[in-house]
Amino acid sequence: MSQAPMPDFSSSVKLKYVKLGYQYLVNHFLSLLLIPVMAIIAVELLRMGPQEILNVWNSLHFDLVQVLCSSFFVIFISTVYFMSKPRTVYLVDYSCYKPPVMCRVPFSTFMEHSRLILKDSPKSVEFQMRILERSGLGEETCLPPAIHYIPPTPTMDEARSEAQMVIFTAMDDLFKKTGLMPKDVDILIVNCSLFSPTPSLSAMVINKYKLRSNIKSFNLSGMGCSAGLISVDLARDLLQVHPNSNAVIVSTEIITPNYYKGNERAMLLPNCLFRMGSAAILMSNRRSDRWRAKYKLCHLVRTHRGADDKSYYCVYEQEDKEGKIGINLSKDLMAIAGEALKANITTMGPLVLPASEQLLFLFSLIGRKIFNLKWKPYIPDFKLAFEHFCIHAGGRAVIDELQKNLQLSGEHVEASRMTLHRFGNTSSSSLWYELCYIESKGRMRRGDRVWQIAFGSGFKCNSAVWKCNRTIKTPKDGPWSDCIDRYPVFIPEVVKL
Amino acid sequence: MSQLQEEGSGPVHGFLLSTVSSTQPTETGTTHERTGLDLAMKLHYVKAVCIYSAEAARELTVMHVKGPFFPIFNQIPWISGRLSRHDSGRPFIKCNDCGTRFVESQCDLTEEEWLRVSDRSVDESLVYHQPVGPELAYSPLIYIQMTRFKCGGLALGFSWAHIIGDALSVSHFLNLWARALAGEEVYCPKTTDSERGLPNPNPTGKEPGSIKRVDPVGDLWVAPSDSKMTTHSFNVTVKNIKTNFGANGNEFEILSGIIWRCIAQARGGGGSEPVTITIIRSDPNGLKPRAVRNSQMISSVHVDFSVAEAKLEEIVKSIGKATDERSEIDEIGESDDFIVYGAKLTFVDLSEVDFYEAKIKETSPVSVYCNVQGIGDEGAVVVLPAAVEEERVVTVTLPEDEMEKVKWELKKCGLIKTLINGE
Repeated sequence: MSQAPMPDFSSSVKLKYVKLGYQYLVNHFLSLLLIPVMAIIAVELLRMGPQEILNVWNSLHFDLVQVLCSSFFVIFISTVYFMSKPRTVYLVDYSCYKPPVMCRVPFSTFMEHSRLILKDSPKSVEFQMRILERSGLGEETCLPPAIHYIPPTPTMDEARSEAQMVIFTAMDDLFKKTGLMPKDVDILIVNCSLFSPTPSLSAMVINKYKLRSNIKSFNLSGMGCSAGLISVDLARDLLQVHPNSNAVIVSTEIITPNYYKGNERAMLLPNCLFRMGSAAILMSNRRSDRWRAKYKLCHLVRTHRGADDKSYYCVYEQEDKEGKIGINLSKDLMAIAGEALKANITTMGPLVLPASEQLLFLFSLIGRKIFNLKWKPYIPDFKLAFEHFCIHAGGRAVIDELQKNLQLSGEHVEASRMTLHRFGNTSSSSLWYELCYIESKGRMRRGDRVWQIAFGSGFKCNSAVWKCNRTIKTPKDGPWSDCIDRYPVFIPEVVKL
Repeated sequence: MSQLQEEGSGPVHGFLLSTVSSTQPTETGTTHERTGLDLAMKLHYVKAVCIYSAEAARELTVMHVKGPFFPIFNQIPWISGRLSRHDSGRPFIKCNDCGTRFVESQCDLTEEEWLRVSDRSVDESLVYHQPVGPELAYSPLIYIQMTRFKCGGLALGFSWAHIIGDALSVSHFLNLWARALAGEEVYCPKTTDSERGLPNPNPTGKEPGSIKRVDPVGDLWVAPSDSKMTTHSFNVTVKNIKTNFGANGNEFEILSGIIWRCIAQARGGGGSEPVTITIIRSDPNGLKPRAVRNSQMISSVHVDFSVAEAKLEEIVKSIGKATDERSEIDEIGESDDFIVYGAKLTFVDLSEVDFYEAKIKETSPVSVYCNVQGIGDEGAVVVLPAAVEEERVVTVTLPEDEMEKVKWELKKCGLIKTLINGE
């Protein structure tokens, strides 16, 4: 709510307390209402005296039929309620892939290779250098072995070999962590946007681990960086239909076949930002997993802006003038991402925001639309709804934009920035690296709520809300275990190459 | 882009280039300085090849071979950096983890066929060599070539910029690789330039005789030469040297004396005889521990008599009195562009270097070759250990038009037993 600016420190402190008081009042309205009601009843009881109370009690005719009907009614309502309640879906555990250190790509190596490969286009090399300097990536991100060659050797064999390396390592780790036997996997969902061989990657997983023949397997391709949350949504829906089941989700992006070999500037960006990574997640609706599960899935909201042409074309795979295939990123990407986010939080807001914020938003909306007052649109304070934020590490610009839009502090976006620095843009798995960062820092407590936001081509904005089920001890192994003490690092605006 | 190594139509082909770096990032802004002595060597490159048998190396994949280099570069990160210049123009190394170039290639011959040739200078095609420049910031200082023979044997070829170290350093590097391959931990203690142990500078201030100033080469570090150089390699036995050429001294000095005399005879008497030579050998008071650096003693020998007619005894005695010129070179090394090897007829003693200790599966290499790129017109002779303890490999690099005459002289004096045409 806008007010006349009051420059005094004391008045801003007063404002803070007013705001806190208001929030407490509105969010606990019902509990606060209970107090006067109980007071009235207590006063009334005291006034009546014990004899009168006994008379009132005796006057109630407790007929057998009445008692039975009432009980049946209560039991019937409870049954209907429990049957129609959606099954709680838990995230038991997940595992992120740590690329081998031999695949590391220092900035200087990337630039030298770039100069040798693009020796006829010095302007494109210059462009790549400027992107890299401002990218927010660090010196420890990794590319698959085939891309280390001058020029890269992206054969199908190499792509499959990368897929096997990243997926199998993550899955082995997941099986070990959770004690899950391969033959117990009921649902398998693999999402990888740009590499879709025949047989599919999910078939590759089934072949390797000898999964059951009646497994429900799905392979999602072409859905961009937000496909990780689409897989979670699919798993959730399937777990509503199949009782007592679990689902394994593998989110990855295979870099080998997608290295852009041309020199069109708008299409060179992905070469600079995309890096190797993957995550394997175990979800379950079994009651036995309730005690060991890390998170509970509370909400999942998917927003698709594909109906709008500008959004549809903003991340577009196409051939350049020389016939080389690459992904064209439009200049309006940030604006479109902002629009998609607004659409998503319009749906998400009422689900997660406390009543105080929703009321303020409503007042602001009424004021602006109905009374035409010149108020700034009220941005609800999402920090009240969540303890942790995982913003897809698509690039530095995305994180900056969201930090601005949601008015988040540096610490809230730390997981995203540090993941971008250490691992680069690992596409759909980046949300899981960020979650792992928060756990590795020992910040995840029971009851904490996490908001994962992912953007993807189409243009889509998907977000998931998780609630931490148990306080998580700092993991001893995992992608961050050997470097977490060095983080957070200061990432300069422009790195001097 | 500097002149490309010709892939050509020879038996070695199928070049696949990639880069090998370190696993731990070096702090941004780290630099590594070079001394005057290092800078004086900058136009030279050490080329070394180790050939391993199929039994030892058949199962090694490219990743097996690349893998051990990473921990070494973690320990010695500056050799994987890139050159840059201070405002004064003095080159230094920026430790930016850019890495070394790794080249994979195939050879159509089996190892046996390859080793059948007794002139081992054919091994030069197993080294992917590129000079530093024309852009210093994008020139790797080390090139590593891995060649797979038809039978499964393996050759590892190194092209190593002399500014970072000498042939002993190359052997040290190779030994570290072999140890890392065997699973050992490698550890390289840091050394500082102040512990270099150079002898005190000669107060006469004379320019050292062992080096020659050349026209400025700018940023393309190729030694200019007027003649086309050619290399010939042959084996000698220590027994042959000691018994047939009666002279006191170790076999390197005797060998150098013999070859010096042959070359003097080939060049004809009078003014064209080489009366000054350069001797490059390991420093007997060498600093421990071993490190990558230019530690070889560079000394000069000058005689007043005619070498072609002299007795071997006298020549060997003069060689024994060589004067160490490293301090003088160090003082002037940064001021201009120089060549050292071939500035005067140069003899390089690598016979004690432990190339054969770099073992795969506890098997030494079956053959080691080492030479220098950028040798000047006076020529150079490199003496290496051979696979067999009693033998030495001698590699002679001379101008093309001199080589036949010298080979004839060497045969006449009995050093080379047989001379087959074309070898």
